Amino acid sequence: MNKHLAYGVVAFWGLLNGLSLSVLAIYGEASMVYWLWGGVVALLELVAFTVWLSSWRGSDQHANYRVTARTGAPALPAAIAVLLAGLSFAYGFWLLIVSLPLLAIALGMAAMPGLAGKDV
Amino acid sequence: MTVPATSDPADTRTAEPDGWLGWLTTTDHKRIGLLTLATSVVLLFLMGILALIMRGQLAQPGEDLIDAHTYNQVFTIHGSGMIYLVMTPFAIGLGVYLVPLQVGAPALATPRTTLLGYWLYVLGALSMLCGFAIPSGAARSGWFSYPPLADSDYSPGAGPDLWVIGVAMSAIGILLMAWAVLWTVLRKRAIGMTMLRLPVFSWSMVVTCLMVLGAFPSLLAALVLLALGRGDPAIFDSNVWNIGYQHLFWFYGHPVVYVMFFPYLAAVAEVLAVFCGRRFFGYKATVLSLLVFAALSMSVWGHHMFTTGQASNDYYSLTSILLTVPAGAEYFGMLGTLVGGRIVFRTPMLFALAFIPQFLIGGLTGIMTGTPVIDYHVTDSYFIVAHFHYTLFAGSAFGLFAAVYYWFPKVTGVMLDERLGKIHFWLLVVGANLTFLPMFGLGYKGMPRRVNTYSSVDGFGLLNLLASCGAAVLAAGMIVFAVNILRSLLRRRRGGLAPMPDNPWNAHTLEWATSSPPPPENFTPDRPLPPITSNAPLLDLPMAQKEAEGANPGKTAQPGEPAGPAERSGL
Ligand code: HEM
Ligand SMILES: [Cu+2]
Repeated sequence: MNKHLAYGVVAFWGLLNGLSLSVLAIYGEASMVYWLWGGVVALLELVAFTVWLSSWRGSDQHANYRVTARTGAPALPAAIAVLLAGLSFAYGFWLLIVSLPLLAIALGMAAMPGLAGKDV
Repeated sequence: MTVPATSDPADTRTAEPDGWLGWLTTTDHKRIGLLTLATSVVLLFLMGILALIMRGQLAQPGEDLIDAHTYNQVFTIHGSGMIYLVMTPFAIGLGVYLVPLQVGAPALATPRTTLLGYWLYVLGALSMLCGFAIPSGAARSGWFSYPPLADSDYSPGAGPDLWVIGVAMSAIGILLMAWAVLWTVLRKRAIGMTMLRLPVFSWSMVVTCLMVLGAFPSLLAALVLLALGRGDPAIFDSNVWNIGYQHLFWFYGHPVVYVMFFPYLAAVAEVLAVFCGRRFFGYKATVLSLLVFAALSMSVWGHHMFTTGQASNDYYSLTSILLTVPAGAEYFGMLGTLVGGRIVFRTPMLFALAFIPQFLIGGLTGIMTGTPVIDYHVTDSYFIVAHFHYTLFAGSAFGLFAAVYYWFPKVTGVMLDERLGKIHFWLLVVGANLTFLPMFGLGYKGMPRRVNTYSSVDGFGLLNLLASCGAAVLAAGMIVFAVNILRSLLRRRRGGLAPMPDNPWNAHTLEWATSSPPPPENFTPDRPLPPITSNAPLLDLPMAQKEAEGANPGKTAQPGEPAGPAERSGL
């Protein structure tokens, strides 16, 4: 029973949203609102499905006691790249010349397993 | 059914680099959580200084401490900062720190994207604040920046662009963190930690993160629309996009109010239970009403658009008023916990107790403004300012302080000073009510919000003076708070503090089962996970121990109880 609860919570919550949306339809609203909220209900059910998939494959509760071995070093360069991409919208798209390579480097670092540092 | 424990041979705990580099690149949820919490507290002080500037300007009619152009920037960054950069990130940061501990997990589900989320939040905050450093100034069209006011015709300059970038980055950051916290609760719980044994705080994070997933993408869509409009303001010649922006914005804007509420409500709930020495009353009803409450809160956004005359007012006022039902259930749970509890009046408990009536004032005036007939009178007035400061400051921020006093010893290993804590508390109670209660009167008498001054014939002078005096009391209280924190941290560094027990409050949930502060992997062979038998495992402990001695066999034990700690940690 409990194995079902985790994804059930998400699915149930999405359905509650769908319920309120259908009541709104009785009152009537701008069509973009239906798309917006309908899209959110769909997104939530997708999340519920992902949770279901993962709990169907694995156990409900975890015995594996493991923490990640990978460094978070790529996070800061990636965030700077995102900032520069954002700024390019205010200060000109030439900033992308800096942003995109930086993003590539960050992604490269993230993909590399070797940067994990030493084990204890 | 639980699965038997398996040891994990591939345990490859990494040593993080020492010093500040280790913090910048950390994947330890406790460090990421602490960075988030500390950053948002620093920003709380900065945004508070902006509030003081406003209260200085408004203390008397016709003052000119700052001009209108500056005033607009100050209230915009104060409001945006408090919402996007303080109350929301602090709430999620609490989840990042506490949820893995509370569910008995060694780590967050996706630690690296969580760290990315933190950095996006920090750089977003910098971008927003940098507006003050450029000649044309920071954003000045309010925390919801409606077009056409916020487009490049009416708000020229780079400041509003920096605001759009900053808000978008912090929103993406919060989304990444919320995803990690949600997945951790749903999929990384320890053996025995079923969904219905989650502490109330972890449950609040489930609903909070669901709201973030459902609502924050809509904010991003609104920001993209605004960015397009700043490129080509002609877009907003069409009413469709002006109203469209309001829908997109408030579809995020109302739920975020609950993102800034549930985690603090739940922190208060845990504090109430612990300082009453009993289980939280009506656990299952509370959990269910949290879920319903959160879902309903996704349906009320149109109450911010009543006066546009272009929203389905009947529907939104119906759903807004329906919110009283689950809210009543939460209040019932809190009061039920108090009744018959043996109350211990420590600082966290004082803040939790004050939260209850003060948030109620905010909530009830919210129902008033959720009624179109009243809203048409008070909209865009100081009544609204009073209403949301009662919810956000007298409510949620009191929950925030309850959380700080309660979990500070967990996080740092030292206690905050009780005497200073109590001074802080009383200054805040007096200050908050003195500041925000007069604002209801001002709004009712017709003082509009977002004005930098008023005339002496308006008759707003006395109430404004009271509010500004209240702000001074609040400032004094916050100085005491800062002194208290710095003093404890300094004493810890110097040593010489009396050793503190790991669970100084006799708290009930798993984060208190390990050492304070917890080791990198949260639970170790010396500090193993206790058996998880309910939503208050540490309260069960004596009973469970008795059981281990054979006193009450089978009463609370679960099949497949956790295996030996050494095996589980793989050490
Ligand atoms: C957690 C704490 C707080 C939060 C979340 C918060 C939030 C907000 C928000 C969202 C706005 C609206 C900005 C806008 O109109 O776009 C605002 C305005 C304002 N706040 Fe706060 N605030 C907090 C604390 C305070 C404190 C402590 C004071 C007084 C000492 C204060 C005084 C003001 C004033 C004077 C305004 C401007 C009202 C106007 O001109 O319309 N706030 N705040
Ligand atoms: Cu609302």
